[in-house]
Amino acid sequence: MDISIKKEAGVTTAFLKGRLDTPASLEVAATFEELKADAAGTTVLDCSELSYISSSGLRLFLSLRKAAAENGGKVIVRSISNEIRSVFMMTGFLNLFEIE
Amino acid sequence: MKTKVTEVIRQWSRAGLMIIVVVVATLEATSILQYSFSRKGMQEEANKRAESQLEATQNKIMDIINQAEAAVRNSMWIAQWCLNVPDSLHRVAQRIVEDNPVVVGSTVAMVPGYLPRRPLFSPYVFQSEGGELRFASLATPEYDYPSQEWFVKALEDESGYWSEPYVDTGGGDILMTTFSMPVKDANGVTAAVLTADISLDWLTDLVGNLTVYPNAFNMVLSREGKIMVCPVETLVMTKTVNELASQMDDSVSTRELNSSMLSGESGHVHVKYKGANNYVYFAPVKRTGWSMSIVIPEDEIFSNLKRVGLMVTIFQVLGILMLILMFRSMFRHYEQNKKLNEKRERMEGDLQIASGIQMSMVPKVFPPFPERHDLDMAADIVPAREVGGDLYDYFIRDEKLFFCIGDVSGKGVPASLVMAVTRTTFRNLSASEDSPGKIVRGMNESLCAMNESSMFVTFFCGVLDLASGTLRYCNAGHNPPLILTSSMQFLPVEANLPLGIMSGMEFKQQGISFRYDDALFLYTDGLTEAENANHMQFGEERMKNVLHGRKGAYEHLKNMEKEVAAFVGSAPQSDDLTMLFIHYLGGQADAGNLRMMFHNDIKQVSQLESWLETVSRELECPESLIPSLNLALEEAVTNVILYAYPKGIYGPVELDALREGDSLKFVLSDSGKPFDPTARPDADIDASLEDRPIGGLGIHLVRSIMDTVSYEYRNGRNILTMTKNI
Repeated sequence: MDISIKKEAGVTTAFLKGRLDTPASLEVAATFEELKADAAGTTVLDCSELSYISSSGLRLFLSLRKAAAENGGKVIVRSISNEIRSVFMMTGFLNLFEIE
Repeated sequence: MKTKVTEVIRQWSRAGLMIIVVVVATLEATSILQYSFSRKGMQEEANKRAESQLEATQNKIMDIINQAEAAVRNSMWIAQWCLNVPDSLHRVAQRIVEDNPVVVGSTVAMVPGYLPRRPLFSPYVFQSEGGELRFASLATPEYDYPSQEWFVKALEDESGYWSEPYVDTGGGDILMTTFSMPVKDANGVTAAVLTADISLDWLTDLVGNLTVYPNAFNMVLSREGKIMVCPVETLVMTKTVNELASQMDDSVSTRELNSSMLSGESGHVHVKYKGANNYVYFAPVKRTGWSMSIVIPEDEIFSNLKRVGLMVTIFQVLGILMLILMFRSMFRHYEQNKKLNEKRERMEGDLQIASGIQMSMVPKVFPPFPERHDLDMAADIVPAREVGGDLYDYFIRDEKLFFCIGDVSGKGVPASLVMAVTRTTFRNLSASEDSPGKIVRGMNESLCAMNESSMFVTFFCGVLDLASGTLRYCNAGHNPPLILTSSMQFLPVEANLPLGIMSGMEFKQQGISFRYDDALFLYTDGLTEAENANHMQFGEERMKNVLHGRKGAYEHLKNMEKEVAAFVGSAPQSDDLTMLFIHYLGGQADAGNLRMMFHNDIKQVSQLESWLETVSRELECPESLIPSLNLALEEAVTNVILYAYPKGIYGPVELDALREGDSLKFVLSDSGKPFDPTARPDADIDASLEDRPIGGLGIHLVRSIMDTVSYEYRNGRNILTMTKNI
């Protein structure tokens, strides 16, 4: 699991690459804490190279989304695969996130 | 060995005796040699001393004798001249006495009839006791000088004659001797005899005071064998030597000596007197016919030799005593060695017996259960010494295989005793108890109660239900066994303390279930820590490599031993090596049975994907299912890992996959605390962002993906069964 962050014109983009399973979620938890600190702006989670996500990853997404909501920011989930889309569906995340 | 030692000791004592004998013989031989040389030297010394004294004394005697003879000879011409004037003849005698201090008396005794007017005429001059000259006439009828020896013999011998010594009764009992010489007139007719008397008092002084050895003494014999000088004064002039000869121990040789002496010979002989040996040196005194002798007791001559000999003997005896003591202590030393050897032999024998007893304590028969087809097992123990501290054991009771492996701290006899106790305790407790946790706990109490030597035992105890394949086990500080399923990994074990360290300890029991063809490989650290000459250890990797591949239990062990031996080479075995291989062949031989083991470590869930690829392949289900199955199983497994065991506790989680008709069945089991994930209310996915809890998604995903999810708690295990229709 790789995560890289790019800040551009008030938009923070996090590029997620690989599998965000439980162990990976533990690894990137700190990065998500950084993203939460900037939650007042727009955060883009680029999932074009994310192949897998488990509930631990979903929790990170949800926790970021909640932080954004509290601070008046917004979270955009970009380019999810069909598999992840089905997981979002199963968990009702499609309703919670702005999907691009 | 024993007889060899005895033989060595016997040879040594024999050698010791030989050495003593040789030393004594050498000492004695050298002593005798030295003694005889010394004796010879001393004898020669005595000879020299005696002979030189004889000579010196003779010279002194001769000096006086010559003076007396010279006094007579020098006056001869006056006497001849005075023959015509007989009344002046006394002057001749007077002059001899006056001029020669040694001469105490002198006479000119006329041959009877030579003087027509005086048929007997012999004027005599002598020194009185006061030293005055006295005149007398020897021509008295009582004395009858012409019949006297000195007169008669002088007429026969023109060169003069020394008389036998005599005691002069007239002059105060002085021992005297007289030199007499014929006086011839102008016609060559013997007219008179001129004499000079000498006192022999000086002789006694001269000869008597000279001694070569303190107890030696001198004797002077007259021509007729009368004793003139000798230490026993009563003998002087009263006895002849021949009369004394009869008193000697060997009168014959004494008589021979006497005759030699009296015939004017010189030499030395050996004479015994009162049992004592004496050396008699003798030589003639010229002119006088005397014989002088020195008598030296043999003891005197060799007194030094005797003293030295005594000292030498004392030293020799001391030396030999020391030698004997030395050999005795050496012998004792060897005796002690012998005893030590015997003790060692006894101990070696005991150790061999102990080794036999110890080996008979562990089951050694292969195959152990030939009648059973659900079990293939083998075990072996290779002790580093005769006896060791490793153990294993197994038996079947009530269709359950009880087995254990252990390693007692330390080595040798102490470890072997603890091993025996451990094995006995295991047997006692497992005879009625089925729970490995309780067996191990009971063993710990027993070992703590009797463990005064602070030895401990790392121990693994397992009970395998042969019918169901359920393995319950308890590990007390032993290295975890390897479990060989479709993969090979270490069995998750609790961090319990070894046995015998602290009483009252709880030992946590764990469990997994065995499937057909699963195997367990138990070993002691003598395997992984076997060192070669470069101090490299055999290690876990080598061990695992050897276990790859399907082989029989016995073959696995023999193979392992061969590999270890090849690795170790010539390096000595430092620790006992024990192995136990249990190959479970019970349960259903179901080819569609796949298993994954988790060590209660969250990172392992990442391996699910590859495992599911295998499952998909083996169980012939579409690959498209993998991502969702992966997700559901990850959620289920994560749930168990995070909640079944307390934080930090290492517990096993098993996941099995099998195909049942058109569905896939996943069974997740663990022996953690009872936890039913299905009991939790399902997450409300339609709730607003504010109302959505962060957690609770995992079980929801499981339920969403799987077709059925059911939980049960059975035999101390959480069992979550999930099915997915294909």
